[in-house]
Amino acid sequence: MLNTRKPRRDKENQIPRKKRTCRFCDAKEVYIDYKDEKRLQRFVTEQGKIIPKRITGTCAKHQRQLVQAIKRARHLALLPFVSDAIR
Amino acid sequence: MDKVLRQYESTFIVNASLDDGQVDGVIGRVQEVITKGGGTVDALNKWGRKRLSYTINKKTNGFYVNLEFTAPSTLILVLDRAFQLDEMILRYLTIIVNRKALAARAKAAAAAAAAKPPEEAPAVPAREPLFQEGTGDKKP
Repeated sequence: MLNTRKPRRDKENQIPRKKRTCRFCDAKEVYIDYKDEKRLQRFVTEQGKIIPKRITGTCAKHQRQLVQAIKRARHLALLPFVSDAIR
Repeated sequence: MDKVLRQYESTFIVNASLDDGQVDGVIGRVQEVITKGGGTVDALNKWGRKRLSYTINKKTNGFYVNLEFTAPSTLILVLDRAFQLDEMILRYLTIIVNRKALAARAKAAAAAAAAKPPEEAPAVPAREPLFQEGTGDKKP
């Protein structure tokens, strides 16, 4: 069979990726609150690990704030250090 | 020398097996420490009983309390000590409310204030143009 299905992925032939933007910048967020656990949960894996910014697209400035907020939330048992399912 | 007053925020978890009166007692004690140390309590938010994400001292539930207060920095050491000594407090976190947080709070307050009054006001004018279009009336 001819190789018609997969286009070659050279540098010139790359599929343009959708540009991810920082959600906090989009929302013009100035401060990420540790009390907002529902929102923080989206930036944490099922295991409870913090998702890197290269995946979520968060900018460096907000990622720093986010990390601090997540760690504070963990201290107060609002977020798990390790999820129940893993333990 | 005048002491620098700062805005702080404390969140702590009270043992949920206490009844509400006892929880209020614990909160009262904390507030007393703050006022005695020269601070003022700006806001008290009880989040109520919540499930903890992990067990603390073999407990799975806790009563969350959030306190906003203004105080000199010397109070924080005293307050930390008080939190540690109180056996009914499972966990606590005291942070300085920084400028960004204050800005966010002001923004939220403004948004809340803005969201309330227009609820009734634009409801009527927003509809009127629709009717005019439906009847064939063009905008003057």
